[in-house]
Amino acid sequence: MKGLKYQLKSVLKDKFCLMTFLLPMVVAVALNFMGFIDLSSLGEHHFGVLKNDLPPHTAAWLERYGPVTVYETQEELTAAINEPSTNIIGVKADGASIKTVVAGDELDIFRQAAVTLPSLYEQREWAEKVEIQTLERSDILESFQDIFIPAVLIVAMFMGCTFNAMNIISEKEDGVAFVNEILPMTPSQYILQKVVVGFLFGSLSSIVTACICFRLSWQNFGLLPLIVLSSFVAALIGLFIGKLSESLMTGVVYIKIAMLAFLAVPIVCALIGVNGPLAVICNIVPSQPAFDGIMALSAGNMGTAIKDIGILAIHCAAWFVLYILIFARHKSE
Amino acid sequence: MREGFCALFKKDCRMLASGKFFLMAAGFLALYTAYVNLGYIRFMQMPPYNVYLYDPAGTQTEVSSLVHAVASLEAMDAALLSDANGVGLDASAEAVRVVLYAGAEHVDHHRADYALSLLRPSAGSAPEIIGTNTPEQKARKEITCELLFFELAAVGFLGIAAVLFQEKGMGVIRVHAILPLQKNLFLLSKLMVFLLSDLAFAVLLTLLNVGLADGAALLPAVLLQTAILSLMMALAGLLCALLLKDFRQFTLAYLIIAIFAATPVFLSANTSVKFDWIDYHPFYHVYMGLKNAYFGVAASLVYYIGSACAIALLFLAVQLAFRREMGKEG
Repeated sequence: MKGLKYQLKSVLKDKFCLMTFLLPMVVAVALNFMGFIDLSSLGEHHFGVLKNDLPPHTAAWLERYGPVTVYETQEELTAAINEPSTNIIGVKADGASIKTVVAGDELDIFRQAAVTLPSLYEQREWAEKVEIQTLERSDILESFQDIFIPAVLIVAMFMGCTFNAMNIISEKEDGVAFVNEILPMTPSQYILQKVVVGFLFGSLSSIVTACICFRLSWQNFGLLPLIVLSSFVAALIGLFIGKLSESLMTGVVYIKIAMLAFLAVPIVCALIGVNGPLAVICNIVPSQPAFDGIMALSAGNMGTAIKDIGILAIHCAAWFVLYILIFARHKSE
Repeated sequence: MREGFCALFKKDCRMLASGKFFLMAAGFLALYTAYVNLGYIRFMQMPPYNVYLYDPAGTQTEVSSLVHAVASLEAMDAALLSDANGVGLDASAEAVRVVLYAGAEHVDHHRADYALSLLRPSAGSAPEIIGTNTPEQKARKEITCELLFFELAAVGFLGIAAVLFQEKGMGVIRVHAILPLQKNLFLLSKLMVFLLSDLAFAVLLTLLNVGLADGAALLPAVLLQTAILSLMMALAGLLCALLLKDFRQFTLAYLIIAIFAATPVFLSANTSVKFDWIDYHPFYHVYMGLKNAYFGVAASLVYYIGSACAIALLFLAVQLAFRREMGKEG
């Protein structure tokens, strides 16, 4: 217990650890407030017209669909249309009708808008008379957040990995690792102390993040075993990284690679929709069952969530046994 | 002097190799290439809005092939619920009714009128195309530029600082203070190693992701911009590493740069979200220089003069900090 107190003290002094502890919570708060940021202009159509080219009523009609920018010269309009960060559609008068000018590198949605704009202009009087029923959408960014929230939670769950790795690397750099070798402490006591630090902080970070993201209710209680098991696996992986890293620099590189793999595998699997043997292989990365479990719980699929909890439990046992085996062999050498 | 420089250069290369820096760069190159070719190009698509038509009596006869017919009003509601950007057209009564989920006002007007236009498609005139890139070429150039900028601004910055902290810890700066070598060689060899590795990274990333023919044509301009950004970031990394006490403090500075410096630049340079103050952000101009190189737009003379001045100023600052550090060590 006294050893554990020292471990906690050393972690709390480390700015890097505290920063990684707070980061998922800050991102979770930011995600919650994302609904207030006006990103609506991202999907809007932008039009560019030449000065004194379009009749005033045509320009006014065009403004119904999006911002219209007036350019003094043809060169300026061409440059604006070709500008790669925007999808400006150039609009010119063509007798009684209009014609459109595009760069040709737009996404389909903007190209289709340019193709149909002249016929929209021709049919404007009929379109104005048609009844439009607008339904309320609860949250435009909801689908966007569906994948972000589990991703942030994964980062929080696997924070324990950073804690343990940084803790062991600091000990190595300060020479404490050598002192530990001769202390009257059994390997299991050492592992326990180290795992508990990463496990506690990882779990705490994930629980607070989950509370912010899901505004925790009893419905989400199933998240707890997922959080506990993932944090335990992450803490064990952190021990491996700490042991393998010779310096702080290599440690940071290993942590970044581990974090990248933890995030990339489940997100790519979710986006591509991996099935069959490949899906089973992906479960080797422990964040995959955790991510899958969170998605299953939010969809109310308890069967899949229980299966994922089982996979995580196997991970816990396998990583623990692997560490004991390697550590015991290293000791006997 | 030449021998001294070569010895320092070899030592820096060995140090980066032992710190697995080159391995990490190769890993990131493989990851970025896989992401661009297997992920980004496949997912960066935005099809036109789906239009669902409920027309039990078959009153609409000229409907475009882009319209999806649905069997009932419930089916239309279900389709709109799962595809909130879609538009429903209810032609069961005498007059057609448009049903859609609310979004931004301008977009809603366009969605409704676009859906109606598909009921009476007209040949119309095809838009005039004035650009040279296809959507895929644009997407490839855009993402390659973003990844290169991220790699140089974030990963390179972190790499050079990590190397210098390691040397500081090992007492190399102290040893260097008493060596009969010109003091600037220490800084120049580091800059050279990072510049060369960044240039090699830029060449491979561009050729693998933009394509051999397209990429080779862009390389001269891209390499010039890469050199500017690489020198700036390496000097900034050196300065931070010399001024800050340890690597942990540096990671805080790194996080601030990564989040607060890069995010607004990415938003302004790649989307229609424009900030009024973005012209005062130095990263924005450097990023736009790199982006213009990928899209074949020439940068202004003022930009090159500004970049040269910034590099010279940063070098002077690094030189000062280095001499101060040597004085402290010695």
